[in-house]
Parts: sequence; C-alpha cells; structure tokens
Amino acid sequence: MADFHIELRDVYRSIARQPGKDSARSEILGGVSLKVDRGELITIMGPSGAGKSTLLRLINRLSEADSGIILVDSTDINAFDPRELRRRVGMVFQIPVVFKGSVRENIAFGKELWNTDADVEALVAEAGLPPALMDTDAANLSVGEKQRVCIARALANKPEALLLDEPTSALDKASAEKVESLLLRLQADHSLTMLWVTHDREQSRRISKNNYILEDGKLRQDHD
Amino acid sequence: MIDPILLALVLTVGFLILAAILASRYGISKEVSISGARAIVQILVLSSVIILVFKLPIYWSLFILLAMATAAGYTTYSRSGKLELMFPASVASIAMTSLIILVPFFLIGLFPLDPRYLIPTGSILIGNAMNVSSLAIDRYKGELRNRRGEVEAYLALGASPRLATGSCMKQGILSALIPSIDNMKNLGLVWIPGVMTGMLLSGSDPVQAASIQVCIFIAIFLTGMIASNLLLYYATSSFFTQALQLKDEAL
Repeated sequence: MADFHIELRDVYRSIARQPGKDSARSEILGGVSLKVDRGELITIMGPSGAGKSTLLRLINRLSEADSGIILVDSTDINAFDPRELRRRVGMVFQIPVVFKGSVRENIAFGKELWNTDADVEALVAEAGLPPALMDTDAANLSVGEKQRVCIARALANKPEALLLDEPTSALDKASAEKVESLLLRLQADHSLTMLWVTHDREQSRRISKNNYILEDGKLRQDHD
Repeated sequence: MIDPILLALVLTVGFLILAAILASRYGISKEVSISGARAIVQILVLSSVIILVFKLPIYWSLFILLAMATAAGYTTYSRSGKLELMFPASVASIAMTSLIILVPFFLIGLFPLDPRYLIPTGSILIGNAMNVSSLAIDRYKGELRNRRGEVEAYLALGASPRLATGSCMKQGILSALIPSIDNMKNLGLVWIPGVMTGMLLSGSDPVQAASIQVCIFIAIFLTGMIASNLLLYYATSSFFTQALQLKDEAL
C-alpha cells in the first residue's frame, strides 16, 4: 500500500448553528476522503460555507473532526503532540495576521520557538520582501506584504506541508499574482506538500492538475 | 426629627429605582434591581451582626474573610461565564492575594490585630480584587473572541496557548486596571475615598487619615493587579481543549 503524506478517511465534522447548543448542529463535512502525495499540490474549491477552511483546520487540529481518521506520514494526527503536528503542517490564512514587532521578529518567531536552522534573511529574500523592510514594524506593511511575511514566518518552522486557506483572495490583483507565483516557487524549491483552498476556478486550474471540489459536505475530483 | 436610618433607606430605594429604570435601556434592569436589593439586605444584615462578630475570637475573622473571598470568587466565576475550573481558581487567587497583602498591616503594627480592623480592611482588599478580576476575565474573554485570528495564527505555528494568548491577557489586565489607575491619579484631587471619609467623620486627624488611606489604596491596587494576573494565568487553560484548540463554547 502506498504511503501518502496526508490522508483523510471518511472524515465528518458538524458545527453548532447556535453557539453552545449541540442539538442544533449542521453537518459541514459528511465523510470526506482524500489522499495527497508528498510534494504534491492540490487545490480545493467550493462555494462559501462549504467547509473548505474547516477541512484545512482539521488537518493541523485547529479544529477537531467528529469522526474519521486523518493521517500525516501514515500516523494518526491524534498520536502527534498538537504543537509538533502544527510545526510539520503549517498554515497560511486568508487574512494575514502579523504579530507585534518588526518583520524580522515575525519571521524569526518559528525559528526561535522550534530552534530551527532557518535563515531569516534568506527567507525575506525568498518571500520577495525588500531587505530594507526587515526592521519595519510589521503592522505598517500593505496586506500583500503582510501575507508574504506570514508565508516566510510559516517556512521558518521548516514545515513539510502547507495548508493555504485562500491565501490570495484578500489581496489586490497585482499582489495576488505575486503571492501566487511566490507560493508555487516555494513549493517547488522546498518540495512542500500543499493543500490550497481557493474559490477561483481559474486559479485552481492554473496552479495544479489535481483539483477537488467540496460541495454538500462531499469532496470530489474536478475533472471538467 | 426623622430617623436618619429611615431617610437613608428612602433615598437608597429612590436611587435604586431610578438606576433600574435607566438600566433598562441597556437590558440590565433586572440585574441592577436584584444586585441593589441584595446590597441593601446584605449590608443591613452585616450591620446588625458586625458588633457580635467583632466580639468573637480572632480566628473567626479568618473564617469570615474566607467566606467573603468565596462569595467574591463566585461572582468573578459567574462573570467568566462559569468557565470550567474557574470557581476554585477565582476563590484561590482572590483569597491568597488579599490575605497575603493584609498581613503587613498587622505585622508592622499599623493596625492592632483585632477583628474590628482585620475584617473591614480584608473586605476592602477582597472586594477590589473581585472587581478587578471580574473586569479582567470579562475583557480577556472579549480579547480572545475579537482576536481569535491572531491567537490561531500563533497556535498554527506550534505556539503554546500561554504564548498565543499573552497579548490578550496583558490587554485584559491593563483594561481592568484603568479605573484603579485613574482613581490613584485623582486620589485627594477628585475624590476622598471611604476609609478617609469614615475616619474624618469620626473625628480623626486628617493627616493620619490620609496616610492610612493612601497605604490602603496602594494595597488595593497591588491586590487587584496580582489577583487578576493569577486568575488569567489559570483561566487560560479553560479556554483550550486538550488538543490546544480554542473552545468555541468558552468564548
């Protein structure tokens, strides 16, 4: 049996329609299965509220599946220390959140947390950020620059996989194109496994041949 | 001449009714009415038994202060939305801090070790520790709710909940301390607080009254700051699951 880098087997997840009321729950994921090879880039599309973000959050355990199995490196994610799982499987969010401090401090966060050998200057260059911004307060950057900082910050953890939750949809067209090509380059350079959530079908086809659609709680391959 | 007790009660009820009417605009009319009615009953009961309590052996004062700290802890616990494990954490943080800060007053001989001094001074510290702790936990919860994206960005990098919530916790404590800091700044300038007022009304030397008041005042601030710090430190785990996920139901 082939070993996949990330595998989901019959994963279910529902959410409370009214906070705190378990009786009123609606099913977001109704038996999702997925296999992703090491170094592969797949895209997941779907309408708003289809559960695309939820699906990513289950893989690094920011949320918990109701049932089903999620494997990373053929190991049930519940067997990992959640912090170590999140180091291995990084995440980039739709709205970039920079931490208080300079660009350098933001990017060095994971390096210091995990004592990795990441080169902060090299990551800044890789992310296409001008070196002059290194000691700028990250809060003063444009949204596109913030997203680059977030990507570089995630890479400083030396992850094996990245979960990308609509990483370009909050950006203007020019910034979105730059971030998209940055991510594609990083994926190739670092042999990263990537699960890229997008609502843009054109983008989905442009960046990968392995495209999935999440609809009505089910995941299917997009062959069209 | 009309009995001053009756006059005070009539005025109190009048103020409370007015407060409850105005509070209805904010949907807290019921809470204000019940809290006000409780305050009236509780303080009248206290006033009728306090002389008896002052005559009891000193260890009774400790029991009474612990009972007060338990009630204060319950109030803070309720303000937290009755979070898991928050009741013992609230009682412990308020009781421990208040009692520890209370000790030097009697150790250096500022007050004689007598229930007449021990209970009122302790109650001032406990009451204020409760106020600051309740504000801090309420604000901390609000910060976690509003800054969920930031907290999860930390978690997603493998940060511990304590690291992820550090900034929210700091903001919670800072916000809770704003009224105390403002009061401290304006002590004697805008207002004359209770202890000094009481001492002045009973004919004490104003400088002596002021010295004791400022000492109690700084002690109040210190107690609030330490108690709210301890509380939020222990509260953090109540907002997270074992898998280090933010609990939706806690926010």
